[in-house]
Amino acid sequence: MKKIILWGLLAAVIIAGVTGYMMWNKPHQNIQKASADVTVDASTLYSEYESDENAANEKYLGKIVAVSGVVRETSTDETGSVKVMLESGSEMGGIICELDPLSEHKRKTFQSGEQVSFKGKCDGVLMDVVLTRCVEGN
Amino acid sequence: MLKKCILFGLLGLFASATFAQKYYTREGKISFSSDAKIEKIEATNKSATSVYDSESGKMEFAVLIKAFQFEKALMQEHFNENYMESDKFPKATFKGMIGDYKSVNLSKDGVYPVKVKGQLTIHGVTKDVETEGKFVVKGGTVSAASTFEVAVADYGIQIPSVVRDNIAKTVTIDIVVAYQELKKGS
Repeated sequence: MKKIILWGLLAAVIIAGVTGYMMWNKPHQNIQKASADVTVDASTLYSEYESDENAANEKYLGKIVAVSGVVRETSTDETGSVKVMLESGSEMGGIICELDPLSEHKRKTFQSGEQVSFKGKCDGVLMDVVLTRCVEGN
Repeated sequence: MLKKCILFGLLGLFASATFAQKYYTREGKISFSSDAKIEKIEATNKSATSVYDSESGKMEFAVLIKAFQFEKALMQEHFNENYMESDKFPKATFKGMIGDYKSVNLSKDGVYPVKVKGQLTIHGVTKDVETEGKFVVKGGTVSAASTFEVAVADYGIQIPSVVRDNIAKTVTIDIVVAYQELKKGS
């Protein structure tokens, strides 16, 4: 009888340990597989943030947003991180889509004027609305 | 946004009136790290904005909390939800002045150590801070860098007692920004 309890305890400890370890090493959300919470075009997203930041945050902040628009410019930094700025209808700012460093991308170059769509996590607005962990497509 | 319009409007006004030199970036890098017992906590943000006015010595930074990327998803989740409450406080900002800004000649290559003073707002709490940094001018491009420490408790960030020993009380913040000149009329 004692043996069964001991084995039971041991099993419980192992399960708890494995669960804890898995939680600790839980992977980041797979953006490619995630479905978008909201779909919006770049200029609507920008103007919503421009007119009422708090209301826009309610709607978009922390959500997976699928955004479509026209490429204004692209930049790549020394670590290989790629950012695509989408036209917003305003000269003041745009939508910055930072490509997800954890995903595979079919391409990392985009032409100015090209129509694209990205899916990424909305982090809020500074000069521009910032989306990180972006992947192309919906 | 209205504030931003006014800010840019003013920038434009000053630019035409005094030939002031404004520098900005929307790709500033801010990272932080803290040495914990279990594991080092580190995160990086590559989309900080900053504006520097070399005529007045005024400098501003803003960064989105949710744009900090951690290696561990769980840490990122705890950072946003439990500590920084980034749904409530999506940004951290700094507004301040460069001490001896007239000694910095941004049109001449060199390294210029400076003192920075201003208000740092994190987690909705604003504190006066003072630190050191430097401007680096190389081949006509201007960048700025600074490293300083922040005490978590100063900004009302509560760490539950169970994990208190695993999380350092101070966090080291690293800032590197490569500025672009703000062209008039843009």
